[in-house]
Formats: sequence, structure tokens, C-alpha cells
Amino acid sequence: MTVDMVIGASVLAATLRLAAPILLAALGGVISERAGVVNIALEGSMLVGAFVGIVAAEQTDSIVIGVAAAIIAGTLLAGIHAIAAIHWRSDQIVSGMALNILALGLTSYLNFQLYGTTGTPADVPDLPTVADQSILVWVSLALVPLTHLFLFGTVSGLRLRAVGEHPRAAETVGIGVRRVRYAAVLASGALAGLGGAYLSLSVAHSFTDGMTAGRGFIGLAAVIFGKWSPIGALVAALLFGYGNALSTSLQGATIGDTRVPVQLLGTLPYLLTILAVAGFVGRSRPPAADGVPYEKEGH
Amino acid sequence: MSGGAPTATGPGPGGPAPSVRQPAMQWATGPAVPVISVIVALLLGAVFVAATGNDPIAAYAALARGAFGTPYDITETLVSAIPLVLTGLSVAVAFRTGLFNIGAEGQLLVGALAAGAVGARFAELPGPLLMPLVILAGILAGAGYGAIAGVLKAARGVNEVITTIMLNYIVVFVMHWLLQSGPMTAPSALGTPASARIGDGAILPVILPNELVPLSRLHAGILLAALAVAVFWFLLWRTSLGYELRAVGLGARAAAQAGIDPARRMALVMAIAGAFAGLAGMIQVSGVFQRVFDGFSSGYGFDAIAVALLGKNSPLGIVAAALLFGAFAHGGAIMQSNAGISSHLVSIIQALVLFVIAAEAIVRGIAGRSRRGRKPVEAIA
Amino acid sequence: MKRLLALPILAALIVSACGGTGSGGAQATGGAGTAPAAKAVRIGLVTDVGGLNDKSFNTLANLGRQDAEKDLKVETKVTESKQQADYVPNLTSYAQQGYDLVISVGFLMTNSTWKVAKQFPNVKFAIVDGAPADDAGKTENLPNVANLFFAQQEAGYLVGVIAAEMAKAKVGKATNNTVCSMGGIPIPPVDTFIAGYQHALQTISPTTKILNGYSNDFVDQQKGKEVGLRHIDQGCDILFQVAGGSGLGYIQAAKEKGKYAIGVDADQADVAPGVVITSALKRVNKAVYDSIKAVKENTFKSGDTFFNAANEGIGLGKLDPVVPASAKAAADKALADIKSGAIKPKTDIAVK
Repeated sequence: MTVDMVIGASVLAATLRLAAPILLAALGGVISERAGVVNIALEGSMLVGAFVGIVAAEQTDSIVIGVAAAIIAGTLLAGIHAIAAIHWRSDQIVSGMALNILALGLTSYLNFQLYGTTGTPADVPDLPTVADQSILVWVSLALVPLTHLFLFGTVSGLRLRAVGEHPRAAETVGIGVRRVRYAAVLASGALAGLGGAYLSLSVAHSFTDGMTAGRGFIGLAAVIFGKWSPIGALVAALLFGYGNALSTSLQGATIGDTRVPVQLLGTLPYLLTILAVAGFVGRSRPPAADGVPYEKEGH
Repeated sequence: MSGGAPTATGPGPGGPAPSVRQPAMQWATGPAVPVISVIVALLLGAVFVAATGNDPIAAYAALARGAFGTPYDITETLVSAIPLVLTGLSVAVAFRTGLFNIGAEGQLLVGALAAGAVGARFAELPGPLLMPLVILAGILAGAGYGAIAGVLKAARGVNEVITTIMLNYIVVFVMHWLLQSGPMTAPSALGTPASARIGDGAILPVILPNELVPLSRLHAGILLAALAVAVFWFLLWRTSLGYELRAVGLGARAAAQAGIDPARRMALVMAIAGAFAGLAGMIQVSGVFQRVFDGFSSGYGFDAIAVALLGKNSPLGIVAAALLFGAFAHGGAIMQSNAGISSHLVSIIQALVLFVIAAEAIVRGIAGRSRRGRKPVEAIA
Repeated sequence: MKRLLALPILAALIVSACGGTGSGGAQATGGAGTAPAAKAVRIGLVTDVGGLNDKSFNTLANLGRQDAEKDLKVETKVTESKQQADYVPNLTSYAQQGYDLVISVGFLMTNSTWKVAKQFPNVKFAIVDGAPADDAGKTENLPNVANLFFAQQEAGYLVGVIAAEMAKAKVGKATNNTVCSMGGIPIPPVDTFIAGYQHALQTISPTTKILNGYSNDFVDQQKGKEVGLRHIDQGCDILFQVAGGSGLGYIQAAKEKGKYAIGVDADQADVAPGVVITSALKRVNKAVYDSIKAVKENTFKSGDTFFNAANEGIGLGKLDPVVPASAKAAADKALADIKSGAIKPKTDIAVK
């Protein structure tokens, strides 16, 4: 085992690449849950974003349209969740799970219909890179202070948080609880859709069935790990990305004469996360009205 | 997450918070809404199937035939439902206590690994000795794994959602190692990562004679599952511990007023949840596979979340929801082979069923049971 | 009262649905528009949990099925397995309906095929990448099961020759004399490809540095790409993937960093033209097609059938123009030597 395997420049670069999609999902989760709606469908929004992004970019030959379409697709899926959770007061977890299954089924189905077994065409346009990282990596990082400022430094952010903590009180001071919640859930879908665009358009340059592989759920864990704050989510995503980078860079490493089994290296990001949460993060309290459907008085 | 704190409404469905004294058979008091939901969802699904150029009647005919067409198919639907009942109980017992157990999947895998290891290591033992050992191994391993999340929550305040998600992934990779190139890897011609076969005494027997239902795989695990359902009901509604757990579920403050320490209860309840899921893993190994195959679970523990919530965390509700999922699992395959419906469309229909059931408000609106009291049920009947 | 109304509706729906099957479902669902002949040969294909669009052996098996349906006028159906517990019922379903041949795709189904084939001695079975294995895990050849094996190491050897020649001669962008591979998980059907590849490299170009890694995954493209980027960091300029969807990420790493890649199973030249210099072909489609043809022509043979270089069961994919004629000549010679038995590619990995 060498130092380069643990903190080399390439490991740190890999950390950023692996953290970015989780960070985008997590920022979406922070916004949605701060407004009081649990959005488990982030995974689904990512997946439809990844798929629609590729299709749009490939059809129009425009990377800008591809990314925009991914964001819209993620937003639309979140919109369905918003209607279910806010308007119909559905169970938010079941609705989110249903949409995840729907997203997987739908994208896999359409992928097969559109591209058959040959897969996505190879000539999908490229996303620009800055300092050897995809521009979307930098966008995701930039969104951290922006989300923080929005939540904690603007009136709209204050309203959003009020809706998630005390919807009844918010309503009495004239905040439209449902309207704010709709906006928050849609925003979470947009961010997750962007995360999907990153995976398909920047990382893979193609779409494969189920390619988000649980990143939306890791994003949700990062929301809690980060105590529902954008900066906390960044820390969580980076730690997770680092663990994942290690599971690659440590392949072939030995302890004494024994080679570490490659499969066990795969546990690193998850072990690191548990250790960090148990060791440093500890108790975290969600917004008081998180996951609680809101009903106006008198209905 | 709703599981973030033991809030009364977090895990429960959108309706009013359940009362501590509410009857166990809650679901049984109102099956109309779920039944109508299924019908609405199937109609929506039919539109979808038709839109993709397939024949919805043929599709559903194949689904129904696949799931219930012959006695054999019914037994297969049951075989598919068994692990979902048990993991459903696992998720539900946590929900009832205000905890969100996303970790049933991992607990199931650990239970399967333990059962597979014990069943193979002591393969020579006679059934009456070995079977209880294997059952115990599955239950204890699942309970121990579940308890990690509970203890971390009680001792360090770590949210169980994070822990259980991470523990799910960890066991998957450990399982890869154990079965691909680790101590449990079978030196066999199977050609696939798997453990050695468990002893004959560890195998759950098929309970229907072959003369009655040829080829049936319906194994004695269904009896264990039924027993588990009864235990779940008894534990939650007939013991003082169950009363305490549900009190914790309704709110830490209420529990504290009743003199209950929520933290200690959390560790215990996660262990109980893990025990149910671990038993599910043991049953799959002993009843279906006779060994542990790498990646044998396609996410029973995740489907279980939907099963528990659809079943309103009640014993009979969970059984009904698990049967619905089991029917989709077995019938869906026939739908693909006999009606040429893409397996992805089957998933989409399943998602629609889930979604419509979650959106009870629509159906309640249709059924005239809404608190706003709109249309009478005759409107659709 | 209102509640009671719902149940009859559901019951009626199910009953009418079942009635539909009884009357005409059995044949109304025939293959794409082809009217079944008097006594059409019926073929059922069951995929493993990878699903039809795995761009690997399930996809290829399905391709063979479709070709057979077109050419041979047989009636075929396919079922994707969603979970491992479904293998037995999915195979049973076709056998129960009296299909002539039931094909299990993938080494995950060795035991399930044994179970079902024992129950239905009059139905023929074929299993891709394996032989029936009894409950104890021991191979037991059955008179109604054809075992379709592939000499993956031979395909690996052939692409290894191309990689070795290019690394040795420092062709194009391959200037570092370092050659890599990545598997999905370390299991025999994956590792035998890599073993053959490394055998060729060590034989032809002993000075070439060899690296190998795993993505621990067959789906996640980012994981595969990260292994690729790591390998490229360590000097690799030819990257061979044996990791399904995850391997596409490995190829993408090569594309992004201006290196070469080698595809697997199917011809993956189209995945990244100019990057994928060739592919290690495993013609599962041919094996499936041939099995169906054998059943149709009553020449079905149970027991082991090996698909290898000699019968074109494995092969070398399209060569990119960058591959020099000398490398192609070396591969052609290796192919001839493998056919003649002069070269026996290894099945054990040298560099893990």
C-alpha cells in the first residue's frame, strides 16, 4: 500500500467525480425535506434524467438541450410525486417507491424500443471539462453555497423552512404551504435530473438500464448525514465519493502478505459512512413537519 | 426522512395517526379502498399496454392465469409471497415503533448466510437437531444485524435510515467475497458463486404431495411465515412490550410520559425487525435454494417497504399485499412469455398499482369515503 | 354494501381473463405474425436475472432465438427472470406447455435446469455456459440436456495477441507497453477470458506490464470507468473489459483519455469507433441458433458441446484500421494454432 493509493491526486480527483451525482441528489433532498416532503423518488428522477438527457442530446446533437431535457424530465417525475404527496396526501414513501419502479420500467422499456440491443449511438455530444473535471462537477459544487444562501439568507428560503417546520404557523402568516412545497419538490427533481445528466452525458456517454444504481438513495442518506444542510450534504457526498475512490485505488493492496479481497474493498464507502456518522455526526433532527402531509384548517 | 425521528405520522399512511388501542385487523375493516385501487391501477395499466400496441385483455389473462391459473401456479405465487410476508413484518414492526427499517434486505441476506453456513457445516446432524439450529442461526443473525442500527441509534443518535442503507450494501459485498472466493465458496461444478449444499435435515420439506399438485415447491416455510404473522400480532397487541413499542411509535414524548425509555426500545425493536427478515433469508435458503447463491435476493427487503405500507403495517394487510406482489412476480413471467408483454411493462403496471394505492385520496374520492365526501361509489359501479 | 360491490367486479375481471386464455390464448399468442405450421417446433428461452438488454449473453441468446424464428420457421417465446427463485418456475412453465426445447441462458441456472429437466424427460433443454448440476452441485449429464460451453480463454487469447503486438511495436497511442483488463467479478466465466488474454501477452510480449482489476459490478458504469481511469493513470493504453454494462464505463475511460479498448461477447466496435480496436467474441447467438436447428432437424445431441475457435463459436471482432497488418497476421496464426491444438490458452489468471 502506498500513500498515492490513499491520498494521491488521482484519488482526490476520483472523489470529486464520484461525489458529484450524490451531491446533486442530496441537495435536492435537502430542499424537498426542508419544505416538509420526503422525496424517495430522487433515484427515479435521476434515472429519467439520465435517459431523457441522452435521447435529447443524441436527437438534437446539442449538449445544452440534452442537459435541459434531463432537468425537465427529473422535474416532471418529481411533479407526479408532488401531486401525490401534497394534493392527494399519499404516503410519501410508497408514492416515491412506486415512481422509482415506474422510472426503471419506463426507461428500460423505452431504451429497448429506441435503441434495441445495440445501445446508445456513440456520437453523443460531449460536455465541456474545466481543470480536467466535467463542468457539471463544478456546477454541483457551486450549488452548495448557492443552496445554502437561498435557504438561510433569503426570504423565500425562510418561508421554505417555515413550511417544513411549522406549516400551520406559516399558513397563518400568509405563506402558501402547498405552493412552497410544490416548488421545493419540483426543484429536488430538477437537481436529481441534473445528477442523472451528469451520469449519462458526462460519465458514461450512454444510457444503460438502471445505471443510477442506488445513487438517489445514497443521496438521501447524505441528506440525513448532513443534518439537512447543503454543506453537510457536501461533506457526506465527498466522504462517500472518497470511500468509493479508495475501493478502486486500493485494488491489489496487501496487508502483510495477504491480498485484500477485491470484493471487501467494495464495502469501504459504506463502512466509512457508518463510522463517520457514529463517530462525529451523531444525532440529527429532521424538520418537524418532514414527511407529514399538510391539510388546511377546516377541510 | 420520515423515519428521522419517532414522529407519529412519519411511517404511517397519510391518514390520521393510529391510536395505540386501534385493532390489529385495521386493514380488514376497509378493504374496499385497496381493492378499488387495484382495479383502477389495472385499468390504467391496460391503457398503457394498449398504447404500446399490445392487447390488454390477453395481457391480463396471461397475468391471471400465470398467478392463479392452476393449483401449481397458486403454489408458486405463495412461494414468491413468503419472503415478502416476513420482510414485510420486519419493516412493519419498525414502522409501528416509529423507525424506518430500510435494512430488511441486508438482514435477510445475513440470515441466509448464517443459515447456509450452519446448514452446511453441520450437514450430518439429523433434522430434529439441525432444523432448529438453522432457524435459530437465521433469526439470530438477522436480529444481530438489525440491532446494529438500533444500538447506534440508541447510543449515538445515528439515524437508522443511514445505517440500514449502508448495512445493506456492506453485506452484499461481504456476500460476494464469501461466495466468490471466500470461506463459504463451494468447491462445486455449479459454475456460479454459491455456498455448499445444506444438509438434508436443514431442508424445509415440500408440504403438498406431488400427487396432489405436481411439481409444487410450496415448502414448510409457509407455516413458519404464518407463525411469524401470529407472533407479530401477539407481540404488538397482546403484550405489554407491544404496547410500549407502539407508544414509542406514536411519539417519544408520549412514551416518556408513560415511563418508557424510547432509546432502549429502539435497539430491541430493530433486533426484532432483523429477526423477521433473517428468518425470511433462512426460509429462502432452506425452502427454495438449499444453499446460498450470490445475489439470490432481487430486493425482497425493498419490496417489503411497499408491502408493509400497503398493508398498513397490520398482519392481515401485510399478507394480502405480499400475495399481490407474489402474484405479480409469478404471473408477470407468464405475461411476458404468453402474451409477449415486455417485462418492463409488467414493472410499470406494478408501479401503477402501488402508486394508485398510495394515492388513496383519489380512490377515497371515487368511493365517497373522503372526508370531503364527494362522489358515491355507485358512480363507478 | 359498497365494499361488497368491488369484489364481484374483481372476480369477474379475473374469471373473464381466465376464460380468454382457455379459449384461444394458447395459440393466439404465437410469434410475431407467423402462422404456426401444422406442428410448429416451439422454443422457450429463459434469461437469467441480467435481463434481455444486458448487451451480453442474454442479448446474444435472444438474437439467436430471433434469427432462428426468422430462418427456421419455429415458434419462439422468451421469459426474463426477475429473481433467482424464478428460474425453476420459468423453465417449468415452458416444459409444462410441452415446448420442444427450453433454453436456459447462463451459468446461474445449472441447478435449476437439472431440477426441471429431471421432471420433464421428454422435453429437451439446452443450457448456455454450463451443465446440469444436481442438488449436491455435482455435474450430471442428462439425456435431454445439451450443455453449451464456450472456450472464453481462446477469445481472450486472440485479443491478447492483438494487444501484445500493438504494445510491443508501440503502435499509435499504445506507447507505454502497459496493457490492462477489468472483470465484473472474479468468477470463472469472466476470469477465463482474462486468463487467455494474459497468456497471450506473456507469451508474445514478456516485457509488457499487465494490470487487472474488477468493478465489483455488472451495471454501474461509473465504477467501471473509475477502474479504467485508474489503470490509465498507471500507464495502461490498451484496456480489455469483461464486465457487461459496467465495462462500457471502462471503454468510456479509454475513449476520454485517448487510449484503446477491447470489447467482449458481442462486437463492440460501434460503442466507440476508433477506440475499440477489436472484441473478444463469444457467439452465444450461434450456440442458441444451432441448438434450435438441431431440434428442428432431429439432430439434438445431449451432453457437452464446446463452442470454440475450431467451430467459430468464439472469434475475433472487427479490427480497427489502427491495428497493423502484422498484428492481424499474428492473430490469424494464433487462431490456426488454437484450432490445431498447437496453442492451448490457459484458464487460470496469471496477474490478478
